[in-house]
Amino acid sequence: MTTAAKPLPNQVLSIEIKAPIDRVWREITKTGAIQRATNNTILESAMTAGAKLRYYSPSRKRVFVVGEIVEINAPKKFSHTWKFTMSPDDPTLVTWELSEVAGGATRVTLTHSRWTNAAKMYKSVGKTWQEILRLLKLELETGDIDLKAKMMYGMMGAFEFMLPKTTTVDYANQVGW
Amino acid sequence: MAREDLEPVWRAIASPIRRRMMDLLRDGPVSTGALSESFRDLSRFAVMQHLRVLEEADLVVPRREGRTRLNYLNPVPIQRIYDRWVSRYQAPWTESLVSLKGALETEPSATRKRSAS
Repeated sequence: MTTAAKPLPNQVLSIEIKAPIDRVWREITKTGAIQRATNNTILESAMTAGAKLRYYSPSRKRVFVVGEIVEINAPKKFSHTWKFTMSPDDPTLVTWELSEVAGGATRVTLTHSRWTNAAKMYKSVGKTWQEILRLLKLELETGDIDLKAKMMYGMMGAFEFMLPKTTTVDYANQVGW
Repeated sequence: MAREDLEPVWRAIASPIRRRMMDLLRDGPVSTGALSESFRDLSRFAVMQHLRVLEEADLVVPRREGRTRLNYLNPVPIQRIYDRWVSRYQAPWTESLVSLKGALETEPSATRKRSAS
């Protein structure tokens, strides 16, 4: 065993979205269809505690995040382990917490925890979550995301073939993700 | 309370004490008790008042972890300020791609009008 990795502080992000809590819950737990806010991925899972979870590319040829559901308590809490297939980092934990706010709005708090200083993605992951929350707000409040995000997704799709082997579905199946 | 308005954020960061608090939270959450230690000249009550202003602005998210109350810096409103005031100067490639797309899709308009006579 290598030298013990030290824990790093949790990352917490919070945003208010002018949409009812059930609507927000449905969007973040939506399976089988593209979640435009979540990096344009398709979530697949049985959505029960202990079930495996995967976030696929729209083409379904690649898997970006794998994990296991830890807790699912509609419409307030959804937590799962999180392993980015492009990174050797150990799995971490993602927790979505929703609460109702006066005026039919929802407070969304995202906590990404179980980080250690061995993790390479600690610094960059915060930016990704910010963008996801920003797009989630846009999607739920306006029914659309911005052009910049759409263009980014277009490019990501076009260059999918260049991604590392660890993002292929075959690889995920082989290693049992 | 809707947080569309960035006014509470500006008001929150207008105070040097609160800016210092935000600095102390940059590398990770800090308990209210530990924050008080960093502000010896302030009563605990004053520290909590400042924290309250930061929470109202959504800059700080308090979380109960065990018996401690930890204060996390929320990067979201800071990003919103950045997006609104700064980033427009940082993404020229996006804008030029958008205008290229626009130029390619525009029908050539009739620029020459035949005069009536």
